[in-house]
Amino acid sequence: MRSSTLRDLLLLLAIGAGLFVGGYILVKKFFKSDFDLSFKVSYEQEEKLGNLFKDLIWDQYQTVKDNAADSAVQQIKDRLVKALDTTAYRYQFTIIKNEQINAFTIPGGNIYVFSGLIQAAESPEEVAAVLAHEMGHAEQRHVVTKLMKELSMTAIITVLSGGDPSVLAQILRNVIGNTFDREQESKADQFALALLEKAKISPKNLGRFFERLNEKNLDYDENLEILMTHPHNDKRIDQVRKYKTKNDFKPEPFQIDWKKVEQSL
Amino acid sequence: MEFHPLPQPEEIPERDKEDAMGAYLMMFAAVAIGLPLPVINLIASIIYYFINRKKSRFIHFHSLQALISNIPTTIINWGAVIWAVTIFLREDWHVTQEFWAYLIFAGVSTFIYFIINIIAAYKARQGKMYYMLLFGKMAYEAAYRVKQEDTPSSEPVNKPPF
Repeated sequence: MRSSTLRDLLLLLAIGAGLFVGGYILVKKFFKSDFDLSFKVSYEQEEKLGNLFKDLIWDQYQTVKDNAADSAVQQIKDRLVKALDTTAYRYQFTIIKNEQINAFTIPGGNIYVFSGLIQAAESPEEVAAVLAHEMGHAEQRHVVTKLMKELSMTAIITVLSGGDPSVLAQILRNVIGNTFDREQESKADQFALALLEKAKISPKNLGRFFERLNEKNLDYDENLEILMTHPHNDKRIDQVRKYKTKNDFKPEPFQIDWKKVEQSL
Repeated sequence: MEFHPLPQPEEIPERDKEDAMGAYLMMFAAVAIGLPLPVINLIASIIYYFINRKKSRFIHFHSLQALISNIPTTIINWGAVIWAVTIFLREDWHVTQEFWAYLIFAGVSTFIYFIINIIAAYKARQGKMYYMLLFGKMAYEAAYRVKQEDTPSSEPVNKPPF
């Protein structure tokens, strides 16, 4: 290479480096730190959004109230919420009368569990594990973030400013059939495991429930919606297995007559 | 190393001047197509180069200079596009200061490239040589260096019958 060409190359690289460093100094001067570009939905707006969805669910599904199953779910909720240090949500757990084995979270800390899931569970601890996982999605704001990503800004503004019913119905379908990405599922699992331990419920119940559903899935069951909306794999079950509780951890079983709960559905 | 003599503006046909200028206008290809993909400019420059390089050394020089000067900005802008896409794929759209610095760097580099290209296009239209830093020398060497095939062989291929 000619010396003048080499000089040109070095000069060009120096100009490039100078531009980058200059840009960096400029950014440091004007922006104090990194920041997130995502449009933040406040908890108040999320609650408002949740209320709109609640009305829609009320119209579309039959909910279960004031029976043994509802009281069991409220008992589970009380235990889990008590174990949370702080939360911005006023959690509401509702049972939907439906054979599907599924549970989902809508904005505002509203968690819905299908009666099919309660019947598929063998103990209140297993239901608690699934609900703790859903609380993980709520606390980490996965539902709102996902909605924000998938919907156009216009749709979000429509919803936040009152809501066009047809837009809302479409969004609701999206929420119920929501599949989170692997990272979000894993984070919700981690949250659930820690919460279960704090609530004195054995974290193993999460893996146990999913393992059983996995086995059940070998014979195709169209009600196993939870497997589609919560895609999981051996890695996730492994994560549950590897979770170590503190040495002095002692689970406190729920005082719930599970047979009675199942019969009430 | 030997070089062919440089033609003076009055010796260059108008058509060649226009074709040489056209090479620099390939930077607008992406704008014309309406896609924000920096690689389109590079593809347009490559096609333009291969179609026109044989027409004259003057066109060869300018189209090659336009092509190789396009490569760094294409890489820089692709870097910005890929970085931006990875941010968009994150759930929080977390933007670092380094990304903003890179955006400024990419923006200023593209702006400088744009200005230099306009100047080069203007000079080419006038039938003048214009040497960009580094790329000018590379293109000059490729277009004007005397190659073996340029010199007539001592043994002529076509000979008179007697």
